Amino acid sequence: VKLRTGRTIRLAIPFRVLTQRFALLFLIVAGIGLMLAGRNDTALVEQLRSAAVDTVAPIMDALSRPAATVAEGVANARELINLRSENTRLARQIEGLVAWRATAQRLSQENALLEALLNHVPDPGMDFVTARVIADSGGVFVRALLVNAGAQQGVIRGNAVLSGNGLAGRITGVGDRASRVLLITDLNSRIPVLIESTRDRAILAGDNSAKPRLVFLPPNASIQPGDRVVTSGHGGLFPPGIPVGIVEAAEPGDVRVRPFVDLDRLEHVRILGFRRADRLAGEPASEDAK
Amino acid sequence: MSGGAIERIDRFARGIIPLGLSLILVIVSALPFYMPGYGPIAPNIAIMAVFYWTIYRPDLFPVAAAFAVGLWQDALVGTPLGLYALLMVLAHTVVATQRRFFQGKSFPVVWWAFAMVAAGAALALWLATMALNLVYVDPSPAVFQFLLTAAAFPFLTWVFARTHHATLRTG
Repeated sequence: VKLRTGRTIRLAIPFRVLTQRFALLFLIVAGIGLMLAGRNDTALVEQLRSAAVDTVAPIMDALSRPAATVAEGVANARELINLRSENTRLARQIEGLVAWRATAQRLSQENALLEALLNHVPDPGMDFVTARVIADSGGVFVRALLVNAGAQQGVIRGNAVLSGNGLAGRITGVGDRASRVLLITDLNSRIPVLIESTRDRAILAGDNSAKPRLVFLPPNASIQPGDRVVTSGHGGLFPPGIPVGIVEAAEPGDVRVRPFVDLDRLEHVRILGFRRADRLAGEPASEDAK
Repeated sequence: MSGGAIERIDRFARGIIPLGLSLILVIVSALPFYMPGYGPIAPNIAIMAVFYWTIYRPDLFPVAAAFAVGLWQDALVGTPLGLYALLMVLAHTVVATQRRFFQGKSFPVVWWAFAMVAAGAALALWLATMALNLVYVDPSPAVFQFLLTAAAFPFLTWVFARTHHATLRTG
């Protein structure tokens, strides 16, 4: 018996080593294969990812609430300290805004009148869902978020994601209950935009820094720091005219935009449902989100 | 139920603790903290988990578990699927071959060794990101994440060790 066990062990050890080597090789090949598959067939990989996210969405949803509460507490304390100065600042701002409101009302009436004269086709209606941020991407080279709204809430891949005062990103993956938002600062983010005052078209390209760059500007474009940048609506992905940010530095070849949205502190976002005018209701939005 | 079955369930439950705890901590590391600039440089918990369990309980943490933790991180974080999985497999392999070296070493030595592995992983991640996107990427977030990861290592090791000793002492 002793001899037999001895032989079994002698046979078993090389066998174990072999299976371990094989497992290692298999896993390395699987890892590389997944990466290559992700480059070529993003839809399949996104599905896998969405399935994983869907399973943990309820847990993250629950766990992110205390974090949000603490963050709110800190924000509240900060607000209390700044109450007086904030108040005077707001009062001054309101004075300016009252004047703006009068102008806006006049312009909107004039606009309605002119549109009626021209038989203008209005932009298709938009609806939105509000979602809470349930996960901040911990990726060093990825700027993305998870939010707790998915296909069940009508979210479609490619939808624009807004926060109070501007564009935050777009939906790149949709699960049943959660979706992934690629922020405009991410390395892979490309958004067609235009300079509001000059109507120069460009692409807003993220590079993982806090201030994305404007690329593919027309050669004769004259860009000044302080120019407003809005979505152009080209490519049919986003509705036109969503505020994106302000041109901060405009050196030739390196135009930087400071986003309106504080992407570090997003808690709630609005996901804009948008259908192109040339699409019929019920037809899925553009699959190619890039 | 027979005693044997209960024992088997018990052994199974204990056996999945290293992997289970690692997966849960990866979820925790992805939670939003609303701190400016924190998200991208949050400590890389996956590599700490792989490092700890590969050294102290390799029987319960095979290379497939390292792959699973990495894939899980890829899915939640949004890195190209397979990237962290591959990095964790490589980290597991490196640590497993050096396991004897860690046996009975003092904590500072283990810490220093961990820093080496984490630095290698950060470097590999940076290179892989550039290779996959074909652009130059500023490496500074990776450096900061590495520093935070190295700094958080004693604390996470304490969490792992407590769990380890509370539940797996007999094993």
